[in-house]
Order: sequence, then C-alpha cells, then structure tokens
Amino acid sequence: MVLTDEIQLKVENIHMAFGGVQALMGVSFEVKKGEIFSIIGPNGAGKTVMLNCINGLYHPQKGRIFFEGKEITKLKPYQRAQLGISRTFQKIELFKGATVLDNIRLGRHIHLKSGLLSGAIYFGKTAREEVEHRDFIEREIIDLLEIEHIRDKIVGMLPYGLQKRVELARALALNPKIILLDEPLAGLNLEEVEDMARFILDINEEERWQTTCVLVEHDMGVVMDISHRVMALNFGEKIAEGTPPEVQNNPHVIKAYLGEAEEIYVTRR
Amino acid sequence: MGYRPCGVYHQYYSQDHAWWQTKFVWGKMTLLFITIFYLIPQFAGMYLISVANVVGYTILAAMGVQLLIGYCGQITLGHAAFLAVGAYTCTLLMLQLHIPFLIAMIIGGLVGGLWCVLFGLPSARVKGFYLIMTTMAAQFITVEFFITQYISQIGGRGVAFSIPPGTIKIGPWVIKTDRDVYYLMVILVVLCTLAMANLLRSKVGRAWIAIRDNDIAAETMGVNIVLYKLLAFFVAGFFGGIAGAFWITSLAAVSPEHFHFGWSLWLVGVILIGGVGSIYGTIFGSLFMTLIPEGLKFLIFFLTQSPFFVNLMPFLPHLLEKFLYVKEAAFGLAIAFFLIYEPNGLSYRWWQIKNYFNLWPFSY
Repeated sequence: MVLTDEIQLKVENIHMAFGGVQALMGVSFEVKKGEIFSIIGPNGAGKTVMLNCINGLYHPQKGRIFFEGKEITKLKPYQRAQLGISRTFQKIELFKGATVLDNIRLGRHIHLKSGLLSGAIYFGKTAREEVEHRDFIEREIIDLLEIEHIRDKIVGMLPYGLQKRVELARALALNPKIILLDEPLAGLNLEEVEDMARFILDINEEERWQTTCVLVEHDMGVVMDISHRVMALNFGEKIAEGTPPEVQNNPHVIKAYLGEAEEIYVTRR
Repeated sequence: MGYRPCGVYHQYYSQDHAWWQTKFVWGKMTLLFITIFYLIPQFAGMYLISVANVVGYTILAAMGVQLLIGYCGQITLGHAAFLAVGAYTCTLLMLQLHIPFLIAMIIGGLVGGLWCVLFGLPSARVKGFYLIMTTMAAQFITVEFFITQYISQIGGRGVAFSIPPGTIKIGPWVIKTDRDVYYLMVILVVLCTLAMANLLRSKVGRAWIAIRDNDIAAETMGVNIVLYKLLAFFVAGFFGGIAGAFWITSLAAVSPEHFHFGWSLWLVGVILIGGVGSIYGTIFGSLFMTLIPEGLKFLIFFLTQSPFFVNLMPFLPHLLEKFLYVKEAAFGLAIAFFLIYEPNGLSYRWWQIKNYFNLWPFSY
C-alpha cells in the first residue's frame, strides 16, 4: 500500500520492570500508518513485553503511548481494542471449546449491538444482526484466509498451523486499524510460513484492509522481505531502527544476534 | 450445527443459524412439545406430575448454575441463596403489598439477580477456587443470617410464611393443584431454556464463553470482562430468583430450610452429572438427580415387600428402617461411578449417541 507519513502509533520512552528485571529501558519508536513495522531481537529482548504494553496487558512504569494522536497509556485492553488495536499471541490463545466460526464471531464483539434482552429474545433485531455479521465474516475473513473447510470445527481439535490462522482471523474480525502480530510464523512449516506471510501482505496491501501491522518475528528471511521498517531490541534497549538493509548491516544488530560479524540470514531456507 | 443429513442445502445464513434445520428435527420437537404440554398433564398420575414438578424446579434452579459454572467459568456454591431471595421477595410482595403473582415473580427474579451481582463483585479480582469462598458466603449471609434472623420476622408470621390457598393466581387462573403447578413449570422451563439458548448464540453469550475459555484473549478482543462477568451473575441470579418464586407455588409455607446449603451443592452436582457447559446437561442432570432417588425408593420397597426376595435375603426388611442411609449411600455410589466412567456428563453421551445414529449403519 501507499506509505504515508501519518504517524499512527507513537511509543515514548517506555520503562517496564518486573521486580528487579528491566524488561524495557527507554524504548521509543513511531509506527506510520500503513506500514509493516517489525520488532526483532534475541530471546528475552523485550519484544513481547513491548506488544503487551501497546496492547494494555502490561502497564509500563514510565513512558507514554499515543494511538492516532490520543494518549492510551492508561486505557484498559478492551478500551484499546475498541479504538482498533487488535493482536494475535505467541502461544495460541483461542477459545478452545468453541467452533472456528464462534471464535471469529467473538472478534466482532465490539461491532455488535444486541444487549441482554434483545439477545434473549433473539428474533428480529439480533437475528438480523447475526446474519449481517456472518455475511461479513464469510466474505471478508474466511474467504481471505482460506479456512472455509474448518468453519464448524472445534478449535481445540485443529492442527497448530490452522489454529494460528484462526487466531489471525479472529484478530481481523475486529476490523482493526493496527494489528499486533506476536510471532505469527513460530512453529509453522515452510508452506504455512509462505501462506502466513502472504496473508500478512494481503491485509497490509489490499484495498479493503490496508491495516498497519506490527510484527514480532524470529524468521529473518520473512521479516527482511516483507517489512517496511525494522526495529531491533536487545536486553530491553533499542539498538537499531531503519529499513531492512540498514538494520541488517548494523554492527550492533549483528553482534547481538551472532556475537561476531557474520551473516545474519539464519533461516530455514 | 456441524451435522446435516445429505441433501439438505442452505441458501441463507438465517437457515444455518436456525436451531431446527430439518423437517425431522421439527417433527421431533413437535412430539416433545405435545408430550410435555398435553400428554403428561392429561394422562400421568398425580405422583408422576409431582415428580415432574421437582424435575422442572431443579432445571430452573440449575440453569443459573450452569450459566455461571458451565458457560462463564465462575464457580458458584451458594445458588440456593438467590433462589431464597427470589422466593422471599415474591412471597413478601404478595402477602404484604398484594402485588399479583406474575409481577411479584419478575421482581423476585430482578432482586435475586441484583443480590447475585453483589456477591459476584469479587469475581472482578479473584478467579477460580477463591470464588468458592465468596459465593459460599452468599449462602450463609443470605439464608442463615438475613432471612432466618430478619426477613422471616416481617409481618410477625413466625419462621415460615404460609401462603393461603388461592393467593397465587395469574389473572383468573388460580394455581392450586399440582397440575396447575406443572403447567406453570413447563412454561417457565421452556421460556428460560429459550432465553438461555438465545443468549448463548448472540453477543452476550459468546462473551461469556470467551471469558470461560480464555479471559486474557477475550479482553484483548474488546470484551469488558468485569461487566460481562457481572452480567452473567445477574442473569444467573435472575434465573435463580424466578426458580425460587416459582417453587412457592408448590410449597404450603416458605421457610429457610427449603434453601439450605445442601441444595446449593446439589445444583452443582446436577450440572456435573448432566454435563458442564451444555443446556442439555442441565436437563439431563435434573432428570437423573430426581428420578434415580425415586427409582431407588421403588426398588427398596419392592425388595422389602416381595416374599421371594425376603426369603432369599432375610436382612432386606431392615433396609426399610435404614432407608434414608441406604438411599443416600447408593446415590453417592452412583455419582462416584458417574464421575469415573462418564466424566463429561450425560450430555456428552447424548451427543455421541446422536452422532452414532446420524451415520448409522456406517461407522464413519
């Protein structure tokens, strides 16, 4: 999609500590509307903590977060979701007892209006609303992510790769403005990685979605191929930020990853 | 939703969202409704109808427990308290203020719901087993303290509120015989089951299931967890209040011992046997927990009275004296075996049987 210079997400000087462990120390960055922004770094660098801070699961001790010009540091996760921040998780966090369709429907939660009484009566308003949103889910999400064949399956019984995809579907159902992807490629085989990378590009580039993506990922091949800008963290500190080639050739990054100046491309290809 | 016989194709999503998607299911459900609305009240004896009333009361009372434990993942061990609140609110409104039964019942449900929200407040902070303590507190604070000590004294009627015959009526329909109670029970059970099932296929119910399965993910998807937990407590308390208000129709007098702690535990037992997280489970569990003790009673009467068995096992007549203990023990044994051999409850078995016959005579 066309990159804009409009800043959508702004993170200022985040400090986050768990007891004596400093997980993040003064990290600041900006995500522009419509880009794929990747956060990389060795294990324990604070990438997931960063996402949890943006998402509201953790509240940083210091620092501020702005979303579309509005400060969201004090907001609860569900309020941030209502603003249009959606996410997937590193370890799959689906509703395991429900069907794929119900999982995706839950993603529509903030767009549904039926309350307790109209829900209990169901006929009329709620029934129409359900059909409307079903139509949206089928057309826009299930079709995009190619999960037609599993829509009635119980999520807990699906293989890992499909569960990852269902999680992306649920996050998309929120119709987000920005989507935080926490290791969407972890544990997938090569074919599934290619599919998932294509989906990420789709939701970023397609006219219909044009969603900003914040990606945390270890698969350097994919990260360097699809992201517009990359930030590298190490032990809670930002060590580099820039376009993929810049970060790739940054001596700090190479040192953090390999300890020596060697080839950074350590992928499964 | 998953299974459809071959040859049935839906063209609209509304068809796929319907409960009864084929003519066969429609026929089956019509038969069921004819049975419960016409055949049972017309042809069953007084004894069977009174047993059916107990089953219906158990279903109504366990519905709220099923909602909280089975669908929202909030453990409740004090549900009899909310039944008591509903029953006492309804009785007091009728006796003191002469409000019609139907309105008093609905107010009873609302008060029960609000009372339940009060004890659900800690669920905003604590999870799982710790919630047992707060809901148990509901039982002891409500029934053993407030109702026994204070509410029962209102109007100077002594501990039990007796309801004069003919007080309970809906319009011109006076509810006095067991058959009237049966009709009221069937209507309420059908309405509550419909409301519950509808909630579960719309926004609110899905939010509850999401909280049960994964509350962190639910929150990141925009569900206000605290609000929806409290809504679950409200609806559960409302069902409880309605159940309690209904039950005064078949009680001559309302007194605190109808809502003891054992009954709260019993309701949890009902959904464990029937199946946690299933509306069928509530109904099957209620049937099982009511019919099996009655069946045991018959069995023991039969064994102690038939000369053949008494000659064979001369100790049998003693069972009658010790009947209470024997019944409880046999029942406890039944539950223990149940939890070992059918841990997913009766509704799971029902699901398996249905699946088997869907494919019958092929194995897959």
